Amino acid sequence: MHRPHAPVSLVVAPDPRDLSDPELAHALMAGRAWAISETWHRFAPPVIMLARRALGSEAEADDVAQEVFQRVFAKARTLRAPDRLRSFIFSFAIRVLKTELRARRARAWLSFHQPETLVEFRAQAGGAPIDMESRDLLRRFYGLLDRLAPRHRLVFVLRHLESMTLEEAAAHMELSLSTVKRLLERATAKLSRWVESDPGLAGFLDGARWRR
Amino acid sequence: MTARDEDKGRRTLAALAELARGSVPPPTQAELDGGLRAVHAAQLQAGRTRRRTSTILQVSLAGALVAASYFGGRVVLSQRARPPAAPAALAYRVEGGSVVDGGYLRESGRGGIKLFFAEGTEFILMPGTRSRLRDVGASGARIAIEHGTASFKVTPSPDRRWQVDVGPFLVTVKGTAFTVSWDAATEKFELKLQHGRVTVSGPVTGGEIALRDGQRLLVDLPQGEATISDQKPEAAIEPPAARAAAKQAPSSSSSSASKAESERRWALALAAGHLDRILEEAERAGVKTTLDHASSDDLLALADAARYRRRMDLARDALLAERRRFPDSPRALDAAFLLGRVEEASDRGLARAVEWYDEYLTRAPTGTYASEALGRKMTLTSKLEGASRARPIAEDYLRRFPGGTYAGPARAFVRAP
Repeated sequence: MHRPHAPVSLVVAPDPRDLSDPELAHALMAGRAWAISETWHRFAPPVIMLARRALGSEAEADDVAQEVFQRVFAKARTLRAPDRLRSFIFSFAIRVLKTELRARRARAWLSFHQPETLVEFRAQAGGAPIDMESRDLLRRFYGLLDRLAPRHRLVFVLRHLESMTLEEAAAHMELSLSTVKRLLERATAKLSRWVESDPGLAGFLDGARWRR
Repeated sequence: MTARDEDKGRRTLAALAELARGSVPPPTQAELDGGLRAVHAAQLQAGRTRRRTSTILQVSLAGALVAASYFGGRVVLSQRARPPAAPAALAYRVEGGSVVDGGYLRESGRGGIKLFFAEGTEFILMPGTRSRLRDVGASGARIAIEHGTASFKVTPSPDRRWQVDVGPFLVTVKGTAFTVSWDAATEKFELKLQHGRVTVSGPVTGGEIALRDGQRLLVDLPQGEATISDQKPEAAIEPPAARAAAKQAPSSSSSSASKAESERRWALALAAGHLDRILEEAERAGVKTTLDHASSDDLLALADAARYRRRMDLARDALLAERRRFPDSPRALDAAFLLGRVEEASDRGLARAVEWYDEYLTRAPTGTYASEALGRKMTLTSKLEGASRARPIAEDYLRRFPGGTYAGPARAFVRAP
């Protein structure tokens, strides 16, 4: 007996790089294996950069990024708004960073010795190595950031190191705009005072003739 | 604190934030690939743990229900799985000193400090060396030499990674024995490689320099010079089988790959540290023929090999050939910068070097070597025309590269009366 053939057509799988964020979010929610890799390659670089700037350490930042994406992939099915995949990922990043910063403060409090602030960047964005003077400035700067509460520190980092708008920072931190403004003002005021009272930093502006 | 002080503090803070923003390198492709592998591995582990926990929970639940029905109490179960234990860091012991806060190594006597790792690697720090153990993990360690001399004997292993920060240089170790020294006062770096392979990156090196058995790298930072010399004759470069294979006619399927590789043969040899081989082959083929027919990659490799061997005339000819034959390529711009470096090394070549740096800065104001070119121009202008003429260049440098390698000297020029 002759069986009718079902129509067969060749389907070429789309290149994941051509997909929009919402399409990628749908694939992630559907548990497509390739979506994990594409999500990582699309969003891991900005998350790693955020973590490196927030923590001042490449090694810790890389660990944080892995933790963030493990959580993102584990919770992908709970994503309610596929057009907000980026915010979804960054909100995990902020939560993990906050936890990491709190843990650091707890370790510092429990330790008998004040741990030294380490700044571990192997090179600048352009590939040139960081000279010793800049390393020292960065170490002092991150030492001051270590004195801030995690929420203050993260708001400062998002606004001034990540160049986010206040609205973006508020959305990622899941805080109101007025709260973010208040936290930022407190963080900036504290840091400015500390900078001026640190002889190793106060002269930086004079030496560098930095101009905005 | 006055309002004026606070305003200054805020401006300094903004400058520091800008320095921090610009100092963070983006992740490399290798780091991204490694991160994704780690995430996959963690997911796999979490899946296994969840399944195991689920089985335990099912059994526990049955037992708990029996107990609950017996005692009439309530049972609360936690589903949270314990995260997988991190691999243990390499065990090591310290002789002649101790590790203090911040990882600094403090000498207890006058005989230097020795670190012995359980897998056989040894670090020997000469007396008076100032160093810091930055990180010891399961897959290796990272140590910083701030001043002094240290020897390393690293047990080869593809799974381990050893890194040595030496002043502003980073030495990545592949399994080897070498001695490294850094003089913070004179800013001179020296690495003597007994055997194995290392790569060195940092200012002046213009990317990574690979060193092999018996080579010595000397970097004079104030002079901006890097010199590689052999401590013993060059060994055979490639096995005879590989050479014989190379002589065979390439198959049609691999011809384009072979062609690309052949066009980069000296670039590959340079990366492997075979400087003398490059120079010998160029001379065997005839320098003029080489300059007229070598690929763009090979011309730059020849120029680098000649520079590292202090054959400045040959380096200059190779760079000029690069610019003449490939005038529109980005490498022609790089060649302009490198010609400046070559001229610096020749007698009465400083003015010509400044002209080449100007040429590079005009054509590539944001190019790879822009910071270095402007820094060198500042230094040479000071030598040729005095510090007052270098001052505007220093100001320009600090405005454009506040965290650059020459920021320290630039500040000194700006502060000078």
